[in-house]
Amino acid sequence: MAADVHNKGVTWDAPNGSLVPVDRLRSERSDSPTPGLVQGTEPGAGQEHAMFMHAQSFEDLAAESESNPDSDQAEDQSVLGESQEASEKEGEEEEQRGGAEPEEEQKDQPEENQKQHQKQKQEVQTGVRGKEEDVTSEAWRRHRKHVFVLSEAGKPIYTRYGTEEALSTTMGVMMALVSFVEAEKNIIRAIHADGCRVVFLHKSPLVLVGVSQSSQSDRELSRELQYVYYQIVSLLTLTQLNHIFQHKQNYDLRRLLAGSEHLTDSLLRLLDRDPGLLLNAVMSLPLSSSARDVVSTSLQAAKAKSLVFSILLAGNRLVTLVRKKDQYLHHMDLHLLFNLVGSSSSFREGEGWTPICLPKFNTAGFFHAHISYLEPKSDLCLILVSTDREDFFNLSDCKRRFLERLRKRSAYQALQEAVQTPTYPVSQVGIPELWHFVYKSKSSGLYTSPELPVPYQKEEEHERLIGLYRYLHSCLHHPTRPLRSVYRCGDTENLFAWVSTITTAAFNKQV
Amino acid sequence: MTAMRVDAKVVMLGKESVGKTSLVERYVHHRFLVGPYQNTIGAAFVAKPINVGDKVITLGIWDTAGSERYEAMSRIYYRGARAAIVCYDLTDSSSFLRARFWVKELQTFEEHCKIYLCGTKNDLIKADRSARQVDYHDVTDFADEIGAQHFETSSKTGNNVDELFMKVAEDFSNSAFELMPEEKGVDLGQKKDSYFYSCCHN
Ligand SMILES: Nc1nc2c(ncn2[C@@H]2O[C@H](COP(=O)(O)OP(=O)(O)OP(=O)(O)O)[C@@H](O)[C@H]2O)c(=O)[nH]1
Ligand SMILES: [Mg+2]
Repeated sequence: MAADVHNKGVTWDAPNGSLVPVDRLRSERSDSPTPGLVQGTEPGAGQEHAMFMHAQSFEDLAAESESNPDSDQAEDQSVLGESQEASEKEGEEEEQRGGAEPEEEQKDQPEENQKQHQKQKQEVQTGVRGKEEDVTSEAWRRHRKHVFVLSEAGKPIYTRYGTEEALSTTMGVMMALVSFVEAEKNIIRAIHADGCRVVFLHKSPLVLVGVSQSSQSDRELSRELQYVYYQIVSLLTLTQLNHIFQHKQNYDLRRLLAGSEHLTDSLLRLLDRDPGLLLNAVMSLPLSSSARDVVSTSLQAAKAKSLVFSILLAGNRLVTLVRKKDQYLHHMDLHLLFNLVGSSSSFREGEGWTPICLPKFNTAGFFHAHISYLEPKSDLCLILVSTDREDFFNLSDCKRRFLERLRKRSAYQALQEAVQTPTYPVSQVGIPELWHFVYKSKSSGLYTSPELPVPYQKEEEHERLIGLYRYLHSCLHHPTRPLRSVYRCGDTENLFAWVSTITTAAFNKQV
Repeated sequence: MTAMRVDAKVVMLGKESVGKTSLVERYVHHRFLVGPYQNTIGAAFVAKPINVGDKVITLGIWDTAGSERYEAMSRIYYRGARAAIVCYDLTDSSSFLRARFWVKELQTFEEHCKIYLCGTKNDLIKADRSARQVDYHDVTDFADEIGAQHFETSSKTGNNVDELFMKVAEDFSNSAFELMPEEKGVDLGQKKDSYFYSCCHN
């Protein structure tokens, strides 16, 4: 497919290497309670030329950095998402990674913990943030994973459970620990005590602290903290964060983050439950390749000058992604977009138009995302990412054209049917006794996984299953002795994980 | 389907959780969503045709997020607006201070934009008079001073909501002739340069 989806000839250079348009003048605004934001990086500053300054920054990609997603593919655009069935796996030629399977690890899970899970579950179900919680209570202490974000002045910015105010002393102590160690030109990474791991991540101007009672490693926890850090950056940009704290060290950042706490909450839940965040991959919607081709071509045809990424989602599954030539969307940024859409009903109310920083792309500036559902009751959500904050109506028109084109094809019918049945039973792959698997295609950054069978449907079992995958994943990607395959027998399930140049799969068989 | 045609740009402004989204929901979809409050992210756009006399006018309504995080970009939403519905919550006095901020902002940058002050959630006041935190006469005085219209609405009961938007559409319809040649409809592509020169904080 020939493909530059978007028009050529646009140059994206940053003449003065700065985000601020050279000749921008100042003008008075009414008094605002918000302290001065950096000119040119305030949400919405159009930064067309600056946007592509640093291509991708993969520098702090978690341990296993991925090769450039399909950079060597002939097409200028990549269409992600293939229907993955067992039979197709054999044919894949890329190196892949697989998750893993459950096994008995209940020993590590005292009954208390189980109760805790149930409690968490209730909170989630009622959609109430555990904000009212008493931070001195046993119940609060027993949460399996706490996450705190604070400023370098020790001011609370976010806590997963309880209120920030109630935790200001605790956070002050955390900051004291960090600065005490740093005063000696050292970095505090983790403290292990009393069955708890306390992991620190200092990403100036923020300090993130995770406290976990699970079996997760420090590395994994630290990676999760990174996600939270990027979540915050995606709302404000790093430039703006730095600017704010340079001007006012003890600024209360919660003011600017107000209303976004549920995004971080939901991101943390995803981290607990979605193997994609572990695998650096997103889940694809099973769909026949012919139908997907039609969807992708229609999406490609709906171009606009400022459009960089067009993403079609079905719930939390990717249908297709079209990108501008030479621009890549990092999986972390994609997860942040998924999380934004998945945790806000606000986009159902019309066409959303919001600034968003994709921190793995560029922490300094905002893109503008046009977010809308294809039809009012549909799960199909289209995200159009643009460099131009003035371009709303053009993007809105792109959506209209895409939908118009799609409606004329029978593929639309196929797509809608696929959305009705986004999952498949594990039996479909035809391996007897297989309970569950996760399969990732490394080249495409996609994974597929069947629906959770009975033993794993309960919330705590689901999280236990993810814990088992995490374990297998950590064996395959051990920093010093990575394994190519793992097999482990347990009381309730056997685990198998395999990294292969041909195929990777992870199985979970009944004993 | 043809490309979207919008006659009048209308922007909803006001502190978070005062009920801007609920007002639009009520007006456009005739419903009130109960359940946990979901703050708007960025802004949401809906186009809504409305009959005024024998004409159909399409209002392009921008429901903005009240969060301070988006304040600095608010200009892209209200720029070129013909009407601004500045909302405050009748049960929250701080929301009225915020409304004054928006009024000042509009007066400075959008002199052609008509302002409608809208006190929301009046069902709460009707249920319990002591819940009122913003004095009716203070607001009418302020409205007179700035030449704005004033409404008190409830998105829960629907009270006064249609009237508000009807008034917006009528006023637009009546004034449209005067301003037509210069600025018609909404074209975000226009005036880009002037925008760049004036959108920043200090
Ligand atoms: N009783 C009552 N509650 C209302 C009314 N309008 C809104 N609310 C409630 O107020 C809360 C906030 O409403 P929204 O419409 O989401 O507020 P918003 O102004 O859009 O908030 P942001 O998007 O954050 O700026 C919700 O819980 C609504 O249910 C009303 O007329 N009566
Ligand atoms: Mg809203």
